[in-house]
Amino acid sequence: MKITELLFFFMLFTSVNHAQTKDFDFSSPINIKKFADFLFCDRDYLRAALEYERLISSDVNDTLLFKIALSYSIIGDYPFAIKYFGNIPSPSSYVNAAKLELIKTYYLMNDYYGVRSFYNDTLIEEINKYQLEGNKLFNFSYLFTKDELPSKEEFLFPFNLSEKNEVSEYYDWKQDPPYKSSTIAGIMSALIPGSGKIYAGEIGDGIVAFITTTVFSFIAYDNFKAGHNTRGWVWAGVAALFYAGNIYGSVAAAQVHNAKITFEFNDGLNVFLQKNNYYTPAYGFCDEN
Amino acid sequence: MVFAMKTNYIIFLIIFFESTSFAQNSFDEQFNYAVRLYESENYFDTVTELKRLLFFNSNNEYIYRAYETIGKSYKQGTKFSDAIRYFTLAEINAKSVDEIYNSRIEIIRVNILRRTTGRAFKLMDSLEADIRFYDKIDEINYWRGWAFIFADDWENAAVIFAGIDSTTELTVLAKKVDDDLYSVSFAKTISYIIPGAGQIYTGEYISGLLSLGWNVLWGYLTIKSFIDERIFDGIIIANFLWLRFYRGNLQNAEKFAMEKNLIISNKAMNYLQFEFNGLKP
Repeated sequence: MKITELLFFFMLFTSVNHAQTKDFDFSSPINIKKFADFLFCDRDYLRAALEYERLISSDVNDTLLFKIALSYSIIGDYPFAIKYFGNIPSPSSYVNAAKLELIKTYYLMNDYYGVRSFYNDTLIEEINKYQLEGNKLFNFSYLFTKDELPSKEEFLFPFNLSEKNEVSEYYDWKQDPPYKSSTIAGIMSALIPGSGKIYAGEIGDGIVAFITTTVFSFIAYDNFKAGHNTRGWVWAGVAALFYAGNIYGSVAAAQVHNAKITFEFNDGLNVFLQKNNYYTPAYGFCDEN
Repeated sequence: MVFAMKTNYIIFLIIFFESTSFAQNSFDEQFNYAVRLYESENYFDTVTELKRLLFFNSNNEYIYRAYETIGKSYKQGTKFSDAIRYFTLAEINAKSVDEIYNSRIEIIRVNILRRTTGRAFKLMDSLEADIRFYDKIDEINYWRGWAFIFADDWENAAVIFAGIDSTTELTVLAKKVDDDLYSVSFAKTISYIIPGAGQIYTGEYISGLLSLGWNVLWGYLTIKSFIDERIFDGIIIANFLWLRFYRGNLQNAEKFAMEKNLIISNKAMNYLQFEFNGLKP
């Protein structure tokens, strides 16, 4: 009797044990979600997005869609990010964050007109907790394009006091960029060799261009004067080359200067926006880890 | 009493056997599924499935192999930093000396592939100094030879491979490449003596003759200026024209030698990548 009982319990135990281990379901929605959350917090965003997408047919919710969109945004797959952020349903706690994230995504795609049209179409009418952040991003987009800037007062309005000084500097820079005219640089160097380079900020190069062109021209003149025509022509050719090169170099120096100014300006803006995470909040999805 | 004890003992053994033999079954399947994915060169999914296995059962018996296979998959996908991270995890979870050795060799191979050969050499030195691996010297040297190849040091690669076996394909190839390479310092030196000679040495005959021509012209005009007692002209021609072309000739000789060497090295690397059948990093 005792043996029979023991055998019964043994059978029961092993069958339960087998059911729990042998048939562990990796594909159950709850396990997929657990694994996707792990991947998301492990910053393996592509795999996280793909795992979350497996849940869409069985357990679609706004958090899930938001996390998928966020994952795609982080890995730079912006079309998918836009698609999923756009699919967040309207009565959802993530709907406004999704709109802000959409603006950020347009920024990351360098689509500043997209930023403005999206803001105008969706955010400007709504007063909610991300309205101010959206307004900041909207205003910032003008600094990246050649469009006319809004008035300074209007531009600085959404920014808080600690930001206003820095943003004001960007605004002034954009309003009156310290560019150099390549035409003026070329004309200056045609009149006085090297002066165009000095105007474009390359003082050392300008002085060298002035000295070399002048010296070579003088040597050419002196050789012709002394009757050494061959050497005279050689030096005249060299002087002409240096003269033409000095004009071309001055025009190029002005263009390089302007490109550098534009690059530094845009780089500064991007660093500022990245530092502020494009005014998007921290969502705390992985805080418990 | 004896009968009861025996029965209990048998039941205990059966339960123990049952639980140990079946407990990992679905994890077995998951691991085997990942291995099949790896074998079918689906490296992205291999990583996903092995990560899934490790996430749900981090104490399973496959932990070393799972980390190692993830590392190999990342390596196949040229995600070298991730590969090294997972090979390191494999090493941490290794249960035998062989597993430690294999994971370290994998880390070395990835370092060779991503051309962080300095790191690869350091790791190989530490492996060589470890008495547990004294019987693996030839294999360590084999990878050392590869590291020299990736460091573009074919001469040392040939020496190392010859130390293992002087008749192997790698030994012959490394020696041939080393013989074919142009000497950059020789190209420059002969260009110092005869402008254009370095270019001609590297097979760039037209460039060499042009360089010689320019230097002869400006040299002639410089000397002529001094003969004509136009000292200032002579100094300026020598300084701005002759020296400029003379320096250009030296730079060209060096550049051509380096370019030709790069072509020779790349051709050899191309052969190793696509036609060499032996073990590669």
